[in-house]
Amino acid sequence: MIVSTISRRCILRKQTSGILRVSSIRQLTSNTKSTKENIPTKFSLAEYRHVYPEFIPDPNVEFRNPIREKLERLDMLSRRAHIDIPEFYVGSILAVTSMDKHSPNKTNKFVGICIKREGCGLRAKFILRNVIDHQGVEVLYEMYDPVLSKIEVLRLEKRLDDELFYLRDALPEYSTFDSNMEPEIHPEGAPIPINPIKVKLKPRPWLERWERKDLKGIEQIDLPERFFIRAKELATPWEKYDMMKQYMKTIPEEEQTEIFAEIQQQLQQLELTRKKLKRKRTFIKPVKLA
Amino acid sequence: MNQADVSKLVSKLKIKVNPRLRKFRNAEGPLGRLKKLRKTVTALVKHERIELNYPRADEARMYAERLISEAIRYGDCHKTTMELADFWLEEKQLVHKLFKVLVPRFQDYNVSYTHMYRAPRPYPGPMHKKAVLELRGNPYPSLLPDMISNRNLIHNVLLDEAKKEYRAQKYAEIAAKIESAENQFIGKADTSSNTSNEEIATSEKSRVKDAEGSISESSEINKVQDDKK
Repeated sequence: MIVSTISRRCILRKQTSGILRVSSIRQLTSNTKSTKENIPTKFSLAEYRHVYPEFIPDPNVEFRNPIREKLERLDMLSRRAHIDIPEFYVGSILAVTSMDKHSPNKTNKFVGICIKREGCGLRAKFILRNVIDHQGVEVLYEMYDPVLSKIEVLRLEKRLDDELFYLRDALPEYSTFDSNMEPEIHPEGAPIPINPIKVKLKPRPWLERWERKDLKGIEQIDLPERFFIRAKELATPWEKYDMMKQYMKTIPEEEQTEIFAEIQQQLQQLELTRKKLKRKRTFIKPVKLA
Repeated sequence: MNQADVSKLVSKLKIKVNPRLRKFRNAEGPLGRLKKLRKTVTALVKHERIELNYPRADEARMYAERLISEAIRYGDCHKTTMELADFWLEEKQLVHKLFKVLVPRFQDYNVSYTHMYRAPRPYPGPMHKKAVLELRGNPYPSLLPDMISNRNLIHNVLLDEAKKEYRAQKYAEIAAKIESAENQFIGKADTSSNTSNEEIATSEKSRVKDAEGSISESSEINKVQDDKK
């Protein structure tokens, strides 16, 4: 079996010098002063964690550094002022337009399903997957990469699992998406739909042992009994009782609310500008037929 | 770099959390580790004060804190929390204690729910460090020395001296009063008869006693105020 996944890393360049950063902070502070009047809140503070998970710092104590985290958040907000990074989840279908330094004045557009979101702060990444010319293609984008010029959500939805790496071993029709897809309209304030689709896997060999992963989004696997016996042996059902392990994988609510209370104003401002732009775009864009 | 798990919200612990968890190697693996810690957590909830080896106490303390904070956060009608309590408390009557005694006790606490002290190790004996782990608000007398009533502490010495001075001042006042009364009495004795002499003496004595009583009362008040401080 040929599994060909091309992954291209769009490496973040160190663009922000010290002076630039200071000016950006100043800009932000002036923004907050002017926009402190009542802006309607879309999310409660606890809900922000689903929409902007990359603003929550790394839970690993060894990587914690409050000052660096704060500066990173400011940099993220200043990047978000230039490019609209919409709300999306694993399972959503995105179209990303990016530039390439080796072919100036040209853009590449890649449409695909988000199979993984990882990293926090400026290093937040996501992987898009699509099948192009019968060839599986995956691109890893860094969310705050200055090379990205546009991120568009074509279909906003979730899947049953937190990461969809099993699509690599599934039949190609499950990860094939039309590159000329039109964005579907998601009504404001409506809950994010969960796609209950069950994927059919190709026969073994696989990239990973999916029968051991307790996946909800795959159909019944046809394997000999011994695979499931081994999977049961290796299962760790007691992990849900290990409260400290859970605690160390997450950031406590108090810290989260502190972080989001700090950046709430700016995020709401970005929301408002996005809405205005959306309205404009709908009026201007002509649809050319034939 | 990892993304934080956002599926579940947890309350912040009020104790310092170790950067890594201890392994407590044993034949059963990670489940055996949890079973070991479970025994300690159960004992802590049952007895409210236990003495044990330091590493186990340090590790079990974090789990006990987490269990209580989960119980406070979600209450006894939350299925996942009930399963947690069922796993961590081996004696099932302690589940009732957790939700009906400990949750009301710790609901408004701004500090940690447990206390850990380093205990002396037996000498000669094994070199393991020992610790005492206890729940706050337990019914036992405090393990720490009573520093308030230590007479040699500087503030207590100063208060004692202040009391002595106050007493001396009061006695001087009483003595002055008695003297003036005697002077008056001597002046009147020339004119009136000596029959009421004894009566006056007894009345003087009673007055002195009253004054002393008032001094002792005032010193008691001072003590109470000291304790409050």
